[in-house]
Amino acid sequence: MSKPEEKKISRRTYLQVAGGTIVGLAVGGALGYLATPPKMVTTTETETYTLTAGPGAGVSDRAVAGAKQLVASGAVPAGATLKLLHVAGSKNNFEPFFAYWEAETGTKVEVVTLGGEPDVYTKAMAEATAKTGAFDIITIFSTWKGDVIESGLAKDLTDYYNKYNPEYGSQYPDTTVIEPLADYTTMYKGRRYAVDLDADVFTLTYRKDLLENPDYASQFRSKFGYDLKVPDTWEEVKDVSKFFNELNLKASDGEKVYGAYFYADPGWAAFTTWLCIFVSKGGILFSPTDMKAMINTQEGIDATQVMADLVPYMHPDALSMDWASLYKRYSEGKAVLTMAWPSLIKWAQDPSTSQVVGKSGSALAPGSRVTVGGKEILLKAANNPVNWIGVVSNYSKYPELGYLFWQWVVSPVIGADAVTRVGIMDIHRNCWFKPPYRAAFEKAYTPQFLDVFADCIAHSFPDLMIKGSSEYLDKLTKNINAACVKSKTPKAAVDDTAKDWEPITDRLGRNAQLEAWKSMIALYPADVQDVWKAKGYIS
Amino acid sequence: MKRAPRLTQWIRKTETFKKLSTLPLNFVLNFVLIVPFAIMIFLSFTTWEPLSGYDWWHAPVAGVPRFIEAFGDARLLWAFIRTTVFVAVVLPLEFLLGLGMALLFLGDFRGKRAFTSVLMYPMMMPWVVVGLGFYLMFQYYGPVNLLLLKPMFGEGGMVDWFTNAVLAFGAVMIADIWQWTPLMFLIIYAGLAAVPRRLIEAAQVLGASSARIVATVHLPLIKPLLVVALIIRGLEAFKVFDIVYIMTRGGPGVNSTEVISLYVYNLSIVYHNTSYACAVSLLIMVATALVTRLAIRPLEVKVE
Repeated sequence: MSKPEEKKISRRTYLQVAGGTIVGLAVGGALGYLATPPKMVTTTETETYTLTAGPGAGVSDRAVAGAKQLVASGAVPAGATLKLLHVAGSKNNFEPFFAYWEAETGTKVEVVTLGGEPDVYTKAMAEATAKTGAFDIITIFSTWKGDVIESGLAKDLTDYYNKYNPEYGSQYPDTTVIEPLADYTTMYKGRRYAVDLDADVFTLTYRKDLLENPDYASQFRSKFGYDLKVPDTWEEVKDVSKFFNELNLKASDGEKVYGAYFYADPGWAAFTTWLCIFVSKGGILFSPTDMKAMINTQEGIDATQVMADLVPYMHPDALSMDWASLYKRYSEGKAVLTMAWPSLIKWAQDPSTSQVVGKSGSALAPGSRVTVGGKEILLKAANNPVNWIGVVSNYSKYPELGYLFWQWVVSPVIGADAVTRVGIMDIHRNCWFKPPYRAAFEKAYTPQFLDVFADCIAHSFPDLMIKGSSEYLDKLTKNINAACVKSKTPKAAVDDTAKDWEPITDRLGRNAQLEAWKSMIALYPADVQDVWKAKGYIS
Repeated sequence: MKRAPRLTQWIRKTETFKKLSTLPLNFVLNFVLIVPFAIMIFLSFTTWEPLSGYDWWHAPVAGVPRFIEAFGDARLLWAFIRTTVFVAVVLPLEFLLGLGMALLFLGDFRGKRAFTSVLMYPMMMPWVVVGLGFYLMFQYYGPVNLLLLKPMFGEGGMVDWFTNAVLAFGAVMIADIWQWTPLMFLIIYAGLAAVPRRLIEAAQVLGASSARIVATVHLPLIKPLLVVALIIRGLEAFKVFDIVYIMTRGGPGVNSTEVISLYVYNLSIVYHNTSYACAVSLLIMVATALVTRLAIRPLEVKVE
């Protein structure tokens, strides 16, 4: 067979063809662009708002009136756009309301999403250094509040609070964000720097069907000498976890049902589970007199010991997987006791994600028995890890408008619709637990959860929210994980953390840190402060 | 003869045009590379961090305390040791596996092209994807335990990889070896394929065994290529970050698998200790440059 003849193309021909093609494409593109009629920008109302008229309508009305006034006075141009920096995958709480906000105020909101939660922090801190004004409003974890304020990114919103009144505080018992949540998520050194978007208070979630099973109840009683019930203390948590773990029950896929799943991984161990146990034992993180680390007190050692004791009864993922694994394993029916954010209950109630629909119960986090004035009390305190808050950038062109959007979107009326949608926000205003709003929230969370959760918020305490909190918690959480994987003893873990914390405090300024910590102490629940007083930790 | 227009003549002759045409690139390079690098050097001589409450350009020069701090930083030393161990383990293994595969692929066999393509895939995958894949594979109820260890040793043989520092670091190394052995293979295979056939045939005629041909013909001829491959891969392995970040975050426990890049990340992004992170980065860069300089010395040929 003869070789096919090669087609020869001269350089000149090649250049002519290639050049002609490029010029043709460019001219064609330009003509096409010019010939295309201008795009019609249309807003199609596809969202169905289920806004309920009820208490607190003034909060959203004032926000809208304020925004209109800003436009009318020329302080904000009509059609101005607010840029919202937000974590990816959770826009559902805000995005459906942008068109509505625009229709009400004539200004727009555009969301800029980033990958994961840490990316928002990184981007926010980069903005604090670069000061570009690229974002007007930002959603962040309350844990990072100290950092974004001290770095100059978050604007002091106190004057806007006074001017527009979002109805926070005991003078608004019907509508307020439940105390102490409102104060500790939004205040820093006595000023308001954020709007609360969420209530991330940890709740004990348990397998109701197993804890109420009469066979297991009698076995438990004969083994431990008291009735099987929802655990009130961390000691009882250990017993219940041990009991169910040793039953070797099987989930539907044949894998073992573990006694418990509490976060003990290097990313979350400290400010989820450990901090809850530590505070319930009457522990305090820093001395209010000299800012010395106080995590290596007996309370710290005991709290770490509780975690280490629970490890043999916990699902193995608890030591190494990320937060989402808890949701998955619990909903697969592979853990009896767990503690997580409110969204767990939504997840566990959804047939598309859960095999334990209708089998979960909720309760206030377990506590510890502590002695106050010679009397033993049960101290329960629920931690609130990472709670989402909204801040306004100091470098925004329209900071007042940014604040007004925050006030509007989590106002009693608008928020009732926004918060019940799947996303990052959870129920946090008093009025949402009562009619006429309650029905929508019962559907999202279950009535039993609502009954319990208001109590959880009332007993809640904040994350560490002072400058450098990321660094303090990083050192702590790694040491707690080290104790859980048995590479350190509980005492060594908290001693090493205390040793690591001192240089951080020195570097960031001991006096400034002390001032911030003192203002945080006041945000802890009264019964926790009473125990601290009884122990002589605070005066 | 027709004369070229003035402009064309000017373009051809003048140096100014040549310099002007490099301006855009210079501009980009300066602002993307040199300016940030200069800022990094400046910050390493200060004690500035974003939480200081003032802008970095107002940071007073504090001298060399950050560098002194680095020399006494046990965590940095351990991160350096771990990184060195990582390079010392993965680099020879990737090299040997790559060499072995390249030698196997020198001969012709059915499906060679398809196998070669498949071998390239790990290298094309983003580091994060590889890290996440291996992170899930090594979970307690992951495929490594369920499909490999459990059938072999029973339930008691299942290993909790990420609660033991050595096992966790081992899992990270396996992920790196899986991803980067193909690079070694590709470079070595390209080199081996270019070795003149006549030299191999001459050796065969003289009765040399296959192993001897590899040792005395193939490897000496591609030595410069091997050195380059080792340097490129060694430097990349020294900078390892993504898979460690995804798979262990430096854990279990307290920084038991933390490598240098992760430590610098923690310093700058998590702790905001920016000036110290700059000082550490600068020291690492100088150390890496020195090691690279020594490594490429054998390649330098003196021209008389």
